[in-house]
Amino acid sequence: MTTATVAHDDHAHHGPPSGIKRWLFSTNHKDIGTMYLVFALIMLFLGGASAMVIRAELFMPGLQLVQPDLYNNLLTNHALIMIFGAVMPAAAGLANWMIPLMIGAPDMALPRMNNLSFWILPAAALMLILSFIVPFFPGGGSQINTGWTLYPPLSLQVGMSMDFLIFALHLLGISSVLASINIIVTIFNMRAPGLRMMQLPIFVWAWLVTAFLLVLVVPVLAAGITMLLFDRHFGTSFFIAAGGGDPVLFQHIFWFFGHPEVYILILPSLGVLASILPTFSRKPLFGHHSLIGAMIAIAALGMIVWAHHQYTVGMSLAAVQYFMLMTILISIPVGLIIFNYMMTMWRGAMTFETPMLFTVAIILMFSFGGLTGVMLAVVPADMQYHDSMFVVAHFHYVLLPGAVWGLFAGVFYWLPKWTGHMYDERLAKTFFWVHVVSFNITFFPQHFLGLAGMPRRIADYNIMFTEFNMISSVGAFFFGLSHLLFLYIIIKTVRGGEKAKARAWEHAEGLEWEVDSPPAHHTWTTPPKIKTA
Amino acid sequence: MAGRPNYPAELRRKNVRLALGVALIVVFMAITAIPFWKGLVALATGG
Repeated sequence: MTTATVAHDDHAHHGPPSGIKRWLFSTNHKDIGTMYLVFALIMLFLGGASAMVIRAELFMPGLQLVQPDLYNNLLTNHALIMIFGAVMPAAAGLANWMIPLMIGAPDMALPRMNNLSFWILPAAALMLILSFIVPFFPGGGSQINTGWTLYPPLSLQVGMSMDFLIFALHLLGISSVLASINIIVTIFNMRAPGLRMMQLPIFVWAWLVTAFLLVLVVPVLAAGITMLLFDRHFGTSFFIAAGGGDPVLFQHIFWFFGHPEVYILILPSLGVLASILPTFSRKPLFGHHSLIGAMIAIAALGMIVWAHHQYTVGMSLAAVQYFMLMTILISIPVGLIIFNYMMTMWRGAMTFETPMLFTVAIILMFSFGGLTGVMLAVVPADMQYHDSMFVVAHFHYVLLPGAVWGLFAGVFYWLPKWTGHMYDERLAKTFFWVHVVSFNITFFPQHFLGLAGMPRRIADYNIMFTEFNMISSVGAFFFGLSHLLFLYIIIKTVRGGEKAKARAWEHAEGLEWEVDSPPAHHTWTTPPKIKTA
Repeated sequence: MAGRPNYPAELRRKNVRLALGVALIVVFMAITAIPFWKGLVALATGG
Protein backbone atom coordinates (compact mmCIF):
# COMPACT_ATOMS: atom_id res chain seq x y z
CA MET A 1 0.00 0.00 0.00
CA THR A 2 1.58 3.22 -1.10
CA THR A 3 -0.69 5.55 0.77
CA ALA A 4 -1.14 6.72 4.26
CA THR A 5 -4.78 6.73 5.08
CA VAL A 6 -6.70 8.87 7.45
CA ALA A 7 -10.03 7.38 8.04
CA HIS A 8 -13.17 8.10 9.89
CA ASP A 9 -15.54 5.24 10.44
CA ASP A 10 -19.09 6.35 10.91
CA HIS A 11 -20.55 3.36 12.72
CA ALA A 12 -23.98 2.19 11.83
CA HIS A 13 -26.61 2.71 14.43
CA HIS A 14 -28.11 -0.76 14.47
CA GLY A 15 -26.70 -4.19 15.04
CA PRO A 16 -27.38 -7.46 13.30
CA PRO A 17 -30.81 -9.12 13.31
CA SER A 18 -31.09 -11.96 15.78
CA GLY A 19 -31.67 -15.69 15.43
CA ILE A 20 -31.42 -17.94 12.43
CA LYS A 21 -32.65 -15.19 10.08
CA ARG A 22 -29.41 -13.33 10.63
CA TRP A 23 -27.58 -16.14 8.87
CA LEU A 24 -30.16 -17.43 6.40
CA PHE A 25 -31.02 -14.06 4.92
CA SER A 26 -27.79 -12.23 5.62
CA THR A 27 -26.50 -9.80 3.06
CA ASN A 28 -23.78 -8.57 5.38
CA HIS A 29 -20.28 -9.23 4.11
CA LYS A 30 -18.94 -9.98 7.59
CA ASP A 31 -21.67 -12.51 8.42
CA ILE A 32 -21.30 -14.17 5.03
CA GLY A 33 -17.52 -14.19 5.45
CA THR A 34 -17.94 -15.90 8.81
CA MET A 35 -20.28 -18.49 7.28
CA TYR A 36 -17.79 -19.21 4.50
CA LEU A 37 -15.03 -19.72 7.08
CA VAL A 38 -17.12 -21.98 9.32
CA PHE A 39 -18.22 -24.00 6.31
CA ALA A 40 -14.61 -24.34 5.16
CA LEU A 41 -13.55 -25.51 8.62
CA ILE A 42 -16.23 -28.22 8.66
CA MET A 43 -15.16 -29.38 5.21
CA LEU A 44 -11.51 -29.32 6.28
CA PHE A 45 -12.30 -31.87 8.97
CA LEU A 46 -14.38 -33.96 6.55
CA GLY A 47 -11.64 -33.98 3.91
CA GLY A 48 -9.06 -34.56 6.62
CA ALA A 49 -10.93 -37.59 7.95
CA SER A 50 -10.76 -39.23 4.52
CA ALA A 51 -7.02 -38.46 4.39
CA MET A 52 -6.58 -40.19 7.76
CA VAL A 53 -8.24 -43.35 6.42
CA ILE A 54 -6.01 -43.20 3.33
CA ARG A 55 -2.87 -42.90 5.44
CA ALA A 56 -4.06 -45.62 7.84
CA GLU A 57 -4.52 -47.96 4.87
CA LEU A 58 -1.06 -47.11 3.58
CA PHE A 59 0.56 -47.65 6.98
CA MET A 60 1.35 -51.22 5.95
CA PRO A 61 1.43 -53.11 2.66
CA GLY A 62 -1.61 -55.25 1.91
CA LEU A 63 -5.26 -54.30 2.30
CA GLN A 64 -6.19 -53.64 5.94
CA LEU A 65 -9.07 -51.19 6.16
CA VAL A 66 -10.55 -50.46 2.74
CA GLN A 67 -10.85 -52.15 -0.62
CA PRO A 68 -9.21 -50.49 -3.66
CA ASP A 69 -12.44 -48.97 -5.02
CA LEU A 70 -13.35 -47.43 -1.66
CA TYR A 71 -9.76 -46.26 -1.29
CA ASN A 72 -10.00 -44.41 -4.60
CA ASN A 73 -13.43 -43.06 -3.68
CA LEU A 74 -11.94 -41.65 -0.46
CA LEU A 75 -9.07 -40.22 -2.45
CA THR A 76 -11.43 -38.54 -4.92
CA ASN A 77 -13.56 -37.10 -2.14
CA HIS A 78 -10.53 -35.95 -0.18
CA ALA A 79 -9.30 -33.91 -3.14
CA LEU A 80 -12.64 -32.44 -4.13
CA ILE A 81 -13.66 -31.60 -0.56
CA MET A 82 -10.33 -29.97 0.21
CA ILE A 83 -10.18 -27.95 -3.02
CA PHE A 84 -13.80 -26.95 -3.51
CA GLY A 85 -15.12 -27.31 0.03
CA ALA A 86 -12.28 -26.11 2.23
CA VAL A 87 -9.65 -23.95 0.49
CA MET A 88 -11.84 -22.03 -1.98
CA PRO A 89 -14.60 -21.21 0.54
CA ALA A 90 -12.00 -20.23 3.16
CA ALA A 91 -10.36 -17.85 0.68
CA ALA A 92 -13.82 -16.51 -0.22
CA GLY A 93 -14.46 -16.03 3.51
CA LEU A 94 -11.33 -13.90 3.84
CA ALA A 95 -12.34 -11.97 0.72
CA ASN A 96 -15.82 -11.31 2.07
CA TRP A 97 -14.54 -10.16 5.41
CA MET A 98 -11.57 -8.12 4.29
CA ILE A 99 -12.10 -6.66 0.81
CA PRO A 100 -14.89 -4.21 1.77
CA LEU A 101 -12.97 -3.25 4.93
CA MET A 102 -9.74 -2.78 2.96
CA ILE A 103 -11.23 -0.65 0.19
CA GLY A 104 -13.52 1.43 2.41
CA ALA A 105 -16.76 -0.01 1.00
CA PRO A 106 -19.89 -0.46 3.16
CA ASP A 107 -20.45 -3.98 1.79
CA MET A 108 -20.08 -6.11 -1.34
CA ALA A 109 -21.47 -4.58 -4.53
CA LEU A 110 -24.24 -7.19 -4.90
CA PRO A 111 -25.19 -8.24 -1.37
CA ARG A 112 -28.12 -10.50 -2.26
CA MET A 113 -26.01 -12.38 -4.80
CA ASN A 114 -23.43 -12.73 -2.05
CA ASN A 115 -26.02 -14.52 0.07
CA LEU A 116 -26.86 -16.81 -2.88
CA SER A 117 -23.18 -17.59 -3.55
CA PHE A 118 -22.77 -18.88 -0.03
CA TRP A 119 -26.02 -20.78 0.33
CA ILE A 120 -25.41 -22.77 -2.86
CA LEU A 121 -22.41 -24.28 -1.08
CA PRO A 122 -24.17 -26.45 1.53
CA ALA A 123 -26.36 -27.92 -1.23
CA ALA A 124 -23.26 -28.66 -3.29
CA ALA A 125 -21.53 -30.20 -0.28
CA LEU A 126 -24.57 -32.42 0.30
CA MET A 127 -24.40 -33.62 -3.32
CA LEU A 128 -20.68 -34.22 -2.96
CA ILE A 129 -21.17 -36.28 0.20
CA LEU A 130 -24.04 -38.18 -1.46
CA SER A 131 -21.73 -39.06 -4.35
CA PHE A 132 -19.55 -40.77 -1.77
CA ILE A 133 -22.24 -42.67 0.14
CA VAL A 134 -24.71 -43.57 -2.65
CA PRO A 135 -22.70 -46.68 -3.73
CA PHE A 136 -23.14 -48.13 -0.21
CA PHE A 137 -26.89 -48.50 -0.85
CA PRO A 138 -28.49 -51.27 -2.95
CA GLY A 139 -28.62 -50.18 -6.60
CA GLY A 140 -26.24 -47.32 -5.86
CA GLY A 141 -23.78 -48.41 -8.50
CA SER A 142 -20.00 -48.47 -8.30
CA GLN A 143 -17.70 -46.18 -6.33
CA ILE A 144 -16.09 -43.13 -7.91
CA ASN A 145 -12.59 -44.40 -8.49
CA THR A 146 -11.41 -41.75 -10.94
CA GLY A 147 -9.62 -39.30 -8.68
CA TRP A 148 -10.54 -35.61 -8.87
CA THR A 149 -9.59 -35.51 -12.58
CA LEU A 150 -12.66 -37.58 -13.58
CA TYR A 151 -10.97 -38.89 -16.72
CA PRO A 152 -13.06 -40.90 -19.16
CA PRO A 153 -13.43 -43.72 -19.98
CA LEU A 154 -13.41 -44.60 -16.25
CA SER A 155 -15.80 -41.76 -15.37
CA LEU A 156 -18.21 -43.03 -18.05
CA GLN A 157 -18.34 -46.44 -16.38
CA VAL A 158 -18.99 -45.28 -12.80
CA GLY A 159 -22.55 -45.57 -11.45
CA MET A 160 -25.00 -42.83 -10.51
CA SER A 161 -22.62 -41.42 -7.89
CA MET A 162 -20.78 -39.76 -10.79
CA ASP A 163 -23.96 -37.87 -11.68
CA PHE A 164 -24.21 -36.59 -8.11
CA LEU A 165 -20.60 -35.51 -8.36
CA ILE A 166 -21.11 -33.72 -11.68
CA PHE A 167 -24.08 -31.79 -10.27
CA ALA A 168 -22.09 -30.98 -7.12
CA LEU A 169 -19.32 -29.56 -9.29
CA HIS A 170 -21.84 -27.53 -11.28
CA LEU A 171 -23.23 -26.02 -8.08
CA LEU A 172 -19.76 -25.31 -6.72
CA GLY A 173 -18.88 -23.68 -10.03
CA ILE A 174 -21.98 -21.48 -9.99
CA SER A 175 -21.18 -20.42 -6.43
CA SER A 176 -17.57 -19.58 -7.37
CA VAL A 177 -18.53 -17.64 -10.48
CA LEU A 178 -21.18 -15.59 -8.65
CA ALA A 179 -18.72 -14.81 -5.85
CA SER A 180 -16.07 -13.85 -8.40
CA ILE A 181 -18.40 -11.50 -10.27
CA ASN A 182 -19.28 -9.88 -6.94
CA ILE A 183 -15.63 -9.45 -5.99
CA ILE A 184 -14.72 -7.94 -9.39
CA VAL A 185 -17.63 -5.48 -9.27
CA THR A 186 -16.88 -4.58 -5.65
CA ILE A 187 -13.22 -3.82 -6.36
CA PHE A 188 -13.95 -1.78 -9.49
CA ASN A 189 -17.01 0.13 -8.33
CA MET A 190 -17.02 0.29 -4.54
CA ARG A 191 -13.60 1.72 -3.64
CA ALA A 192 -13.52 4.72 -1.33
CA PRO A 193 -13.30 8.00 -3.25
CA GLY A 194 -9.67 8.72 -4.13
CA LEU A 195 -8.47 5.15 -3.64
CA ARG A 196 -6.82 4.28 -6.94
CA MET A 197 -6.42 0.74 -8.26
CA MET A 198 -2.63 0.78 -7.92
CA GLN A 199 -2.98 1.80 -4.24
CA LEU A 200 -5.04 -1.26 -3.36
CA PRO A 201 -3.50 -3.78 -0.95
CA ILE A 202 -1.93 -6.82 -2.62
CA PHE A 203 -4.55 -9.06 -0.99
CA VAL A 204 -7.25 -7.19 -2.92
CA TRP A 205 -5.24 -7.40 -6.14
CA ALA A 206 -4.59 -11.10 -5.59
CA TRP A 207 -8.33 -11.66 -5.26
CA LEU A 208 -9.07 -9.55 -8.33
CA VAL A 209 -6.70 -11.69 -10.41
CA THR A 210 -8.14 -14.85 -8.84
CA ALA A 211 -11.71 -13.77 -9.58
CA PHE A 212 -10.85 -13.18 -13.24
CA LEU A 213 -9.16 -16.58 -13.40
CA LEU A 214 -12.30 -18.16 -11.96
CA VAL A 215 -14.67 -16.56 -14.45
CA LEU A 216 -12.37 -17.62 -17.28
CA VAL A 217 -11.80 -21.27 -16.37
CA VAL A 218 -14.76 -22.51 -14.31
CA PRO A 219 -17.13 -22.29 -17.32
CA VAL A 220 -14.74 -24.51 -19.26
CA LEU A 221 -14.90 -27.16 -16.54
CA ALA A 222 -18.69 -26.78 -16.56
CA ALA A 223 -18.69 -27.40 -20.32
CA GLY A 224 -16.43 -30.44 -19.91
CA ILE A 225 -18.46 -32.14 -17.21
CA THR A 226 -21.68 -31.35 -19.08
CA MET A 227 -20.21 -33.15 -22.10
CA LEU A 228 -19.34 -36.01 -19.75
CA LEU A 229 -22.93 -36.08 -18.51
CA PHE A 230 -24.20 -36.16 -22.10
CA ASP A 231 -21.87 -39.03 -22.97
CA ARG A 232 -23.16 -40.92 -19.94
CA HIS A 233 -26.88 -40.44 -20.55
CA PHE A 234 -27.77 -38.82 -23.86
CA GLY A 235 -25.93 -40.86 -26.48
CA THR A 236 -23.23 -38.37 -27.43
CA SER A 237 -19.62 -39.43 -28.02
CA PHE A 238 -17.48 -36.45 -27.07
CA PHE A 239 -15.08 -38.68 -25.17
CA ILE A 240 -16.00 -42.18 -26.39
CA ALA A 241 -13.45 -43.46 -28.89
CA ALA A 242 -15.84 -46.11 -30.25
CA GLY A 243 -18.27 -43.35 -31.24
CA GLY A 244 -15.59 -41.19 -32.86
CA GLY A 245 -14.87 -39.16 -29.72
CA ASP A 246 -11.58 -38.55 -27.97
CA PRO A 247 -10.99 -39.28 -24.26
CA VAL A 248 -7.87 -37.08 -24.37
CA LEU A 249 -10.10 -34.10 -25.21
CA PHE A 250 -11.51 -34.32 -21.70
CA GLN A 251 -7.99 -34.21 -20.27
CA HIS A 252 -7.33 -30.97 -22.16
CA ILE A 253 -10.59 -29.42 -21.02
CA PHE A 254 -10.10 -30.55 -17.45
CA TRP A 255 -6.56 -29.23 -17.17
CA PHE A 256 -7.43 -25.97 -18.88
CA PHE A 257 -9.45 -25.50 -15.71
CA GLY A 258 -7.30 -27.61 -13.41
CA HIS A 259 -3.99 -25.85 -13.77
CA PRO A 260 -5.26 -22.29 -13.27
CA GLU A 261 -7.19 -23.75 -10.33
CA VAL A 262 -3.84 -24.22 -8.59
CA TYR A 263 -3.25 -20.47 -8.87
CA ILE A 264 -6.83 -19.81 -7.82
CA LEU A 265 -5.97 -21.62 -4.59
CA ILE A 266 -2.55 -20.04 -4.11
CA LEU A 267 -2.91 -16.38 -5.12
CA PRO A 268 -5.28 -15.28 -2.31
CA SER A 269 -2.89 -16.81 0.23
CA LEU A 270 0.11 -15.07 -1.34
CA GLY A 271 -1.96 -11.90 -1.04
CA VAL A 272 -2.42 -12.52 2.67
CA LEU A 273 1.35 -12.71 3.12
CA ALA A 274 1.71 -9.24 1.61
CA SER A 275 -0.41 -7.90 4.48
CA ILE A 276 1.45 -9.82 7.18
CA LEU A 277 5.07 -9.27 6.14
CA PRO A 278 5.23 -5.46 6.47
CA THR A 279 3.49 -5.62 9.86
CA PHE A 280 5.96 -8.00 11.47
CA SER A 281 9.02 -6.78 9.54
CA ARG A 282 8.17 -3.17 10.41
CA LYS A 283 9.02 -2.13 6.87
CA PRO A 284 6.93 -1.22 3.84
CA LEU A 285 6.17 -3.97 1.37
CA PHE A 286 8.97 -4.30 -1.19
CA GLY A 287 7.89 -3.84 -4.83
CA HIS A 288 4.14 -3.29 -4.55
CA HIS A 289 3.65 -2.67 -8.29
CA SER A 290 5.91 -5.53 -9.39
CA LEU A 291 3.93 -7.89 -7.16
CA ILE A 292 0.77 -6.90 -9.00
CA GLY A 293 2.54 -7.50 -12.32
CA ALA A 294 3.84 -10.87 -11.14
CA MET A 295 0.37 -12.02 -10.10
CA ILE A 296 -1.10 -11.01 -13.45
CA ALA A 297 1.79 -12.77 -15.23
CA ILE A 298 1.23 -15.94 -13.18
CA ALA A 299 -2.46 -15.91 -14.09
CA ALA A 300 -1.79 -15.29 -17.78
CA LEU A 301 0.94 -17.93 -18.04
CA GLY A 302 -1.07 -20.31 -15.86
CA MET A 303 -3.79 -20.39 -18.49
CA ILE A 304 -1.54 -21.57 -21.32
CA VAL A 305 0.43 -24.39 -19.71
CA TRP A 306 -2.26 -26.91 -18.88
CA ALA A 307 -0.97 -29.90 -20.86
CA HIS A 308 2.14 -30.30 -18.69
CA HIS A 309 -0.15 -32.58 -16.68
CA GLN A 310 -0.44 -34.82 -19.75
CA TYR A 311 3.09 -35.32 -21.08
CA THR A 312 2.64 -39.09 -21.12
CA VAL A 313 -0.55 -38.98 -23.18
CA GLY A 314 1.25 -38.88 -26.53
CA MET A 315 1.23 -35.29 -27.74
CA SER A 316 3.35 -34.05 -30.62
CA LEU A 317 6.95 -33.09 -29.85
CA ALA A 318 6.25 -29.42 -30.65
CA ALA A 319 3.31 -29.32 -28.23
CA VAL A 320 5.29 -30.99 -25.47
CA GLN A 321 8.22 -28.58 -25.92
CA TYR A 322 5.89 -25.60 -25.86
CA PHE A 323 4.18 -26.70 -22.65
CA MET A 324 7.52 -27.47 -20.99
CA LEU A 325 9.05 -24.08 -21.78
CA MET A 326 5.97 -22.08 -20.82
CA THR A 327 5.67 -24.00 -17.56
CA ILE A 328 9.27 -23.30 -16.60
CA LEU A 329 8.67 -19.63 -17.46
CA ILE A 330 6.15 -19.39 -14.59
CA SER A 331 8.99 -19.79 -12.12
CA ILE A 332 10.06 -16.21 -13.01
CA PRO A 333 7.02 -14.33 -11.67
CA VAL A 334 6.72 -16.81 -8.78
CA GLY A 335 10.40 -16.22 -7.98
CA LEU A 336 9.79 -12.49 -8.13
CA ILE A 337 7.07 -12.74 -5.50
CA ILE A 338 9.32 -14.81 -3.23
CA PHE A 339 12.17 -12.32 -3.82
CA ASN A 340 9.95 -9.34 -2.96
CA TYR A 341 8.74 -11.04 0.21
CA MET A 342 12.31 -11.82 1.29
CA MET A 343 13.36 -8.24 0.53
CA THR A 344 10.49 -7.00 2.69
CA MET A 345 11.99 -8.95 5.59
CA TRP A 346 15.57 -7.93 4.76
CA ARG A 347 16.97 -5.80 7.59
CA GLY A 348 13.52 -5.45 9.09
CA ALA A 349 12.93 -5.39 12.84
CA MET A 350 11.23 -8.75 12.66
CA THR A 351 9.17 -10.46 15.35
CA PHE A 352 7.73 -13.91 14.99
CA GLU A 353 4.11 -13.98 16.03
CA THR A 354 2.16 -16.92 14.62
CA PRO A 355 1.08 -15.26 11.32
CA MET A 356 4.73 -14.37 10.67
CA LEU A 357 5.91 -17.88 11.57
CA PHE A 358 3.51 -19.28 9.01
CA THR A 359 4.69 -16.70 6.47
CA VAL A 360 8.36 -17.66 6.85
CA ALA A 361 7.45 -21.36 6.71
CA ILE A 362 5.41 -20.74 3.55
CA ILE A 363 8.29 -18.99 1.82
CA LEU A 364 10.60 -21.92 2.59
CA MET A 365 8.24 -24.83 1.96
CA PHE A 366 6.37 -23.34 -0.99
CA SER A 367 9.70 -22.60 -2.68
CA PHE A 368 10.63 -26.24 -2.15
CA GLY A 369 7.33 -27.34 -3.72
CA GLY A 370 8.06 -24.97 -6.59
CA LEU A 371 11.46 -26.56 -7.16
CA THR A 372 10.00 -30.05 -7.47
CA GLY A 373 7.46 -28.42 -9.81
CA VAL A 374 10.28 -27.37 -12.11
CA MET A 375 11.52 -30.98 -12.01
CA LEU A 376 8.07 -32.16 -13.07
CA ALA A 377 7.88 -29.55 -15.82
CA VAL A 378 10.89 -31.11 -17.57
CA VAL A 379 9.48 -33.68 -19.97
CA PRO A 380 12.03 -36.53 -19.76
CA ALA A 381 12.07 -36.27 -15.96
CA ASP A 382 8.29 -36.13 -15.73
CA MET A 383 8.06 -39.31 -17.80
CA GLN A 384 9.74 -41.02 -14.82
CA TYR A 385 7.84 -39.27 -12.03
CA HIS A 386 4.40 -39.26 -13.63
CA ASP A 387 1.67 -40.90 -11.53
CA SER A 388 4.13 -41.63 -8.74
CA MET A 389 4.08 -40.59 -5.08
CA PHE A 390 6.62 -37.91 -6.05
CA VAL A 391 3.76 -35.99 -7.66
CA VAL A 392 1.68 -36.39 -4.49
CA ALA A 393 4.55 -35.00 -2.42
CA HIS A 394 5.05 -32.13 -4.88
CA PHE A 395 1.48 -30.87 -4.95
CA HIS A 396 1.05 -31.19 -1.21
CA TYR A 397 4.18 -29.05 -0.76
CA VAL A 398 2.65 -26.50 -3.13
CA LEU A 399 -0.92 -26.54 -1.89
CA LEU A 400 -0.50 -26.86 1.86
CA PRO A 401 2.10 -24.11 2.30
CA GLY A 402 0.98 -22.15 -0.76
CA ALA A 403 -2.75 -22.20 -0.09
CA VAL A 404 -3.72 -23.65 3.31
CA TRP A 405 -0.97 -22.13 5.46
CA GLY A 406 -1.61 -18.74 3.91
CA LEU A 407 -5.22 -19.07 5.03
CA PHE A 408 -4.14 -20.11 8.54
CA ALA A 409 -1.78 -17.13 8.62
CA GLY A 410 -4.62 -14.86 7.51
CA VAL A 411 -6.99 -16.28 10.12
CA PHE A 412 -4.47 -15.69 12.93
CA TYR A 413 -3.63 -12.23 11.57
CA TRP A 414 -7.23 -11.02 11.30
CA LEU A 415 -8.83 -13.07 14.11
CA PRO A 416 -8.34 -10.20 16.61
CA LYS A 417 -10.09 -7.89 14.14
CA TRP A 418 -13.00 -10.28 13.64
CA THR A 419 -13.55 -11.35 17.23
CA GLY A 420 -12.23 -8.40 19.22
CA HIS A 421 -9.98 -10.79 21.16
CA MET A 422 -6.30 -11.69 20.84
CA TYR A 423 -5.78 -15.40 20.35
CA ASP A 424 -3.60 -17.45 22.71
CA GLU A 425 -0.14 -16.93 21.19
CA ARG A 426 1.43 -19.83 23.08
CA LEU A 427 -1.17 -22.30 21.85
CA ALA A 428 -1.02 -20.89 18.34
CA LYS A 429 2.74 -21.34 18.23
CA THR A 430 2.34 -24.89 19.51
CA PHE A 431 -0.15 -25.50 16.71
CA PHE A 432 2.29 -24.01 14.20
CA TRP A 433 5.20 -26.22 15.21
CA VAL A 434 3.20 -29.45 15.48
CA HIS A 435 1.50 -28.69 12.18
CA VAL A 436 4.60 -27.77 10.20
CA VAL A 437 6.87 -30.51 11.57
CA SER A 438 4.22 -33.23 11.13
CA PHE A 439 3.49 -31.92 7.62
CA ASN A 440 7.13 -32.49 6.68
CA ILE A 441 7.20 -35.92 8.30
CA THR A 442 4.10 -36.81 6.28
CA PHE A 443 5.05 -35.57 2.86
CA PHE A 444 8.84 -35.41 2.65
CA PRO A 445 9.27 -39.24 2.58
CA GLN A 446 6.76 -39.40 -0.26
CA HIS A 447 9.41 -37.86 -2.55
CA PHE A 448 11.63 -40.88 -1.91
CA LEU A 449 8.71 -43.28 -2.37
CA GLY A 450 7.94 -41.74 -5.74
CA LEU A 451 11.55 -41.72 -6.87
CA ALA A 452 11.79 -45.40 -5.87
CA GLY A 453 8.76 -46.14 -8.05
CA MET A 454 5.71 -46.28 -5.77
CA PRO A 455 2.64 -45.39 -7.85
CA ARG A 456 -0.06 -43.05 -6.54
CA ARG A 457 -3.76 -43.94 -6.26
CA ILE A 458 -3.02 -47.56 -5.32
CA ALA A 459 -4.20 -48.94 -1.96
CA ASP A 460 -1.53 -51.63 -1.74
CA TYR A 461 2.20 -51.50 -2.36
CA ASN A 462 5.39 -53.47 -2.56
CA ILE A 463 6.95 -54.38 0.79
CA MET A 464 10.08 -52.36 -0.11
CA PHE A 465 8.09 -49.14 0.42
CA THR A 466 6.97 -50.02 3.97
CA GLU A 467 9.31 -47.91 6.13
CA PHE A 468 8.75 -44.59 4.39
CA ASN A 469 5.01 -45.22 4.32
CA MET A 470 4.96 -45.90 8.05
CA ILE A 471 6.85 -42.67 8.74
CA SER A 472 4.49 -40.78 6.45
CA SER A 473 1.39 -42.22 8.15
CA VAL A 474 2.63 -41.46 11.68
CA GLY A 475 3.32 -37.90 10.56
CA ALA A 476 -0.14 -37.71 9.02
CA PHE A 477 -1.85 -38.75 12.26
CA PHE A 478 -0.07 -35.97 14.20
CA PHE A 479 -0.80 -33.60 11.34
CA GLY A 480 -4.50 -34.47 11.49
CA LEU A 481 -4.63 -34.15 15.28
CA SER A 482 -3.00 -30.73 15.16
CA HIS A 483 -6.15 -29.33 13.55
CA LEU A 484 -8.10 -30.06 16.73
CA LEU A 485 -5.79 -27.62 18.47
CA PHE A 486 -6.51 -25.07 15.73
CA LEU A 487 -10.24 -25.53 16.33
CA TYR A 488 -9.75 -25.12 20.08
CA ILE A 489 -7.77 -21.88 19.59
CA ILE A 490 -10.50 -20.45 17.35
CA ILE A 491 -13.30 -21.34 19.81
CA LYS A 492 -11.28 -19.98 22.74
CA THR A 493 -10.65 -16.69 20.91
CA VAL A 494 -14.28 -16.27 19.88
CA ARG A 495 -15.40 -16.84 23.47
CA GLY A 496 -13.01 -14.41 25.10
CA GLY A 497 -9.47 -13.37 25.79
CA GLU A 498 -7.41 -10.24 25.90
CA LYS A 499 -9.25 -7.37 24.21
CA ALA A 500 -7.88 -6.43 20.82
CA LYS A 501 -7.35 -2.80 19.88
CA ALA A 502 -8.65 -1.41 16.58
CA ARG A 503 -5.07 -1.74 15.34
CA ALA A 504 -4.48 -5.16 16.84
CA TRP A 505 -0.88 -5.33 15.57
CA GLU A 506 1.20 -2.28 16.38
CA HIS A 507 2.65 -1.77 12.91
CA ALA A 508 -0.30 -2.96 10.86
CA GLU A 509 -1.36 -0.60 8.09
CA GLY A 510 -4.47 -0.43 5.97
CA LEU A 511 -8.07 0.68 6.22
CA GLU A 512 -9.17 -2.52 7.97
CA TRP A 513 -7.25 -1.42 11.06
CA GLU A 514 -9.08 1.91 11.24
CA VAL A 515 -12.35 0.28 12.31
CA ASP A 516 -13.03 -1.17 15.75
CA SER A 517 -12.17 -4.74 16.75
CA PRO A 518 -14.65 -6.34 16.30
CA PRO A 519 -16.05 -3.98 13.69
CA ALA A 520 -19.63 -2.72 13.86
CA HIS A 521 -22.19 -4.69 11.85
CA HIS A 522 -22.03 -2.00 9.17
CA THR A 523 -18.74 -0.25 8.48
CA TRP A 524 -17.67 2.54 6.14
CA THR A 525 -21.23 3.81 5.75
CA THR A 526 -19.34 7.10 5.47
CA PRO A 527 -16.42 6.49 3.11
CA PRO A 528 -12.94 7.02 4.55
CA LYS A 529 -10.86 9.93 3.36
CA ILE A 530 -7.82 8.73 1.45
CA LYS A 531 -4.63 10.73 1.78
CA THR A 532 -2.00 9.94 -0.83
CA ALA A 533 1.49 9.71 0.57
CA MET B 1 -33.02 -9.13 3.34
CA ALA B 2 -31.61 -8.15 6.69
CA GLY B 3 -29.83 -4.81 6.83
CA ARG B 4 -28.96 -4.57 3.16
CA PRO B 5 -27.00 -1.39 2.36
CA ASN B 6 -29.06 1.16 0.51
CA TYR B 7 -26.84 2.05 -2.43
CA PRO B 8 -27.76 5.00 -4.66
CA ALA B 9 -29.69 4.00 -7.78
CA GLU B 10 -26.86 5.10 -10.08
CA LEU B 11 -24.33 2.90 -8.23
CA ARG B 12 -26.73 -0.04 -8.29
CA ARG B 13 -27.15 0.31 -12.05
CA LYS B 14 -23.38 0.59 -12.50
CA ASN B 15 -22.83 -2.55 -10.42
CA VAL B 16 -25.41 -4.57 -12.31
CA ARG B 17 -24.02 -3.42 -15.69
CA LEU B 18 -20.50 -4.51 -14.77
CA ALA B 19 -21.75 -7.81 -13.31
CA LEU B 20 -23.59 -8.57 -16.55
CA GLY B 21 -20.46 -7.68 -18.50
CA VAL B 22 -18.39 -10.18 -16.51
CA ALA B 23 -21.18 -12.74 -16.88
CA LEU B 24 -20.78 -12.40 -20.65
CA ILE B 25 -17.18 -13.59 -20.28
CA VAL B 26 -18.48 -16.62 -18.38
CA VAL B 27 -20.97 -17.47 -21.13
CA PHE B 28 -18.36 -16.91 -23.84
CA MET B 29 -15.86 -19.23 -22.14
CA ALA B 30 -18.47 -21.95 -21.68
CA ILE B 31 -19.76 -21.96 -25.26
CA THR B 32 -16.37 -21.66 -26.92
CA ALA B 33 -14.84 -24.48 -24.89
CA ILE B 34 -16.20 -27.28 -27.01
CA PRO B 35 -15.16 -26.43 -30.58
CA PHE B 36 -11.99 -24.57 -29.61
CA TRP B 37 -10.44 -27.31 -27.57
CA LYS B 38 -11.47 -30.03 -29.97
CA GLY B 39 -9.62 -28.19 -32.73
CA LEU B 40 -6.60 -27.57 -30.52
CA VAL B 41 -6.31 -31.23 -29.58
CA ALA B 42 -6.42 -32.14 -33.25
CA LEU B 43 -3.55 -29.74 -33.85
CA ALA B 44 -1.49 -30.91 -30.87
CA THR B 45 -1.87 -34.60 -31.53
CA GLY B 46 -1.77 -34.41 -35.29
CA GLY B 47 -5.15 -36.14 -35.29
